[in-house]
Amino acid sequence: MTDKGGGMKEAEMGPTRTSTSELYVAVNYDHCSYCGACVAVCPPDCITLHDATLIVDTEACTLCRRCIPACPTGALTLEGVV
Amino acid sequence: MRPDYDVVVIGAGPAGSIAARTAAQAGLSTLLIEKRQEIGSPVRCGEAAGRDTLEKFIPLDPKWIAAEVDCYSLSNPQGDCVVLPSLEKTLVLERKIFDRELAHSAAKAGAEVVVKTRATGLMRNGDGVTGVKMVAQGEPREVHARAVIAADGTESQSARWAGLKSIPQLKDYYSAAQYLVAGVDMNPRICQYHIGWSIAPGGYCWVFPKGDRQANIGIVMWVDPKETKPAIRYLDEFIAARFPGKSVLSQVVGGIPITNVIPEMVADGFMVVGDAAHQSDPLTAGGITNSMQGGQFAAEVAVEAIKSGDTSAKFLKKYEQLWDAEYGKLYRRLYRIRHAFLKVPEDKISRMIADASRMDSQKMSLRDIFTIVLKTHPQLLLEVAPYFLGQ
Repeated sequence: MTDKGGGMKEAEMGPTRTSTSELYVAVNYDHCSYCGACVAVCPPDCITLHDATLIVDTEACTLCRRCIPACPTGALTLEGVV
Repeated sequence: MRPDYDVVVIGAGPAGSIAARTAAQAGLSTLLIEKRQEIGSPVRCGEAAGRDTLEKFIPLDPKWIAAEVDCYSLSNPQGDCVVLPSLEKTLVLERKIFDRELAHSAAKAGAEVVVKTRATGLMRNGDGVTGVKMVAQGEPREVHARAVIAADGTESQSARWAGLKSIPQLKDYYSAAQYLVAGVDMNPRICQYHIGWSIAPGGYCWVFPKGDRQANIGIVMWVDPKETKPAIRYLDEFIAARFPGKSVLSQVVGGIPITNVIPEMVADGFMVVGDAAHQSDPLTAGGITNSMQGGQFAAEVAVEAIKSGDTSAKFLKKYEQLWDAEYGKLYRRLYRIRHAFLKVPEDKISRMIADASRMDSQKMSLRDIFTIVLKTHPQLLLEVAPYFLGQ
């Protein structure tokens, strides 16, 4: 498993991360069911699903936000401050 | 596992297993890889499929049949309900067992089946695909293939690796959730469909009997960037209103592409089948037997290609033609019908169902249905009439 661009760490930190000026897609692992609905609609292919791991590569992510409404459990949210 | 095969199939769902079985039956050396440790699990499906169509692929077996259904019902949020006979008898499956049986049938035909083996990339020679990079039980491997058939589902990455345009637009995508619920009192011969924007925006909820008072209760809904409530919350509300306090035995979620298939399903040495090729029906998102047919078509063409020594995209295009001859017209029509329905407000859909529910469904003719639609929302009739008239 590769931790691309520190995506997992950032995602795990989730809503508590407010010290940055950048937006990012965060994964709430209490909701995520690892179904891959988000993977399919991600144009830059920056979401990696592997067993019970979902990693958003925040470096490659273009913030298109298509994954957010596609998620059946509402596990993906846009976080950070502008 | 050997270093090379005639055919490598990625993904042991219904499409992949039928593809592997078809290739192996024709005498090709075939490898079928499944990323999960258990074929058929987790189930990501409403599990209903037409009986006669299924029987074309596998002898019916009570061990994977949970219920048999003759009718379906359409309900509106007010509870009006119209019951109609199914065009074809429908089976509600036990997909965990069904999927494993299909993979077993591929193994019996001579395919080598392995689990916990995930594809990590394609081997290429110029534009052509020459094999699959994978991690098998933790060991990285490169396996050569004369043809690769990708059946890796909604989250398919192999189609992208091969350079195919496989990313669905959000308007052509369903977000879906389902619970297996215990203690459900319902007619076990009827599959229920519940329609209404307030229940399932741009989609529907279903209640499918699974025997012994169990039911698959699920939802598909459109993907709207302005929507703030996820599919599973809509489903929770649907169940709370109609089946309060019932036990939930399992939960599954997922996305379903309903694009009416991707524009190209082949590349040199490469074919894509099933949900990875968006082969679920673009109205209901049902896809079990359609995907199996896709797998069979692809493998038949792969067999021909390998025997003739030409696995170029140009040759493999025959698979696209077979698919289009069987499903093209129907899918284009279902796609249009779905988009026509998306323009109809809930009160009008509800009124149509209410009007129909007051008629004797056994005696209801196409003309009666047309009259109801014409009275309520004539634009819809214009858009869907050709389908009902079989044009």
